[in-house]
Amino acid sequence: MPVAISVDAVEVSENLRHKRGYSFPFLSDPKAEVIRRYDLLHPRGGPDGTDISRPAEFLIDRSGTVRWENFTEDIRVRPRADALLAAARSIR
Amino acid sequence: MVDTTVRKRTFAPWMGLLLTVLGALSNGLPFTGFPAASVPWISLLLSLIGFVVLLFGLWQAFGQSTVYKGKLSSALATGFSLLFLAGAIVFFWSARHIPRESAAAPQVGQRVPDFTLPDSTGHSVSLTQLFSGSASKEPPKALLLVFYRGYW
Repeated sequence: MPVAISVDAVEVSENLRHKRGYSFPFLSDPKAEVIRRYDLLHPRGGPDGTDISRPAEFLIDRSGTVRWENFTEDIRVRPRADALLAAARSIR
Repeated sequence: MVDTTVRKRTFAPWMGLLLTVLGALSNGLPFTGFPAASVPWISLLLSLIGFVVLLFGLWQAFGQSTVYKGKLSSALATGFSLLFLAGAIVFFWSARHIPRESAAAPQVGQRVPDFTLPDSTGHSVSLTQLFSGSASKEPPKALLLVFYRGYW
């Protein structure tokens, strides 16, 4: 199950989730506390110099262990679905 | 002495402009789901080739002005392409201007720190709760934590 996390406020996330028709949860981290804890902060990366998260994905199993991860270095470059799916299939 | 020869047209400036415009537009490809990690480079390369073609056109129009005409049109094409080239470079730079290192981020094989955050309905949920499922949903075998920039 995907879980989306950003600094967006609850209402903004709900709006996006609704607009795109996603059923998975969107979590709000407006103060970037979790984003900081995961060392993903992009200082002043947002509009008006706000701190945001750098794009990153973690596939974790039920023990909370990372099985696959992706840190992009270009916001236009998205993770490859095949690599993610291969990692996901290895989780039983 | 009156020049009676007919001067040729040069299409190089317009070709150059076309290439730089295509280069700038190709930046949008990933947003349409085009699966290419090399798009940023394609874009920059197209723009730069376009600019070289354009310089050739300028050389024809100004350097070889007895053979070619089109001083005004090549100057116009140059102006527009410079704008697009500058745009492509700025976009290329800004799209890659993100932190390179997340040294303290969880690595493959490591456990991620637990957290509790409000979901889009305002209810607080923890990582543990996300794994436990709900009355209507089976507990997931895995979670894909997608950190995104927000402001969509």
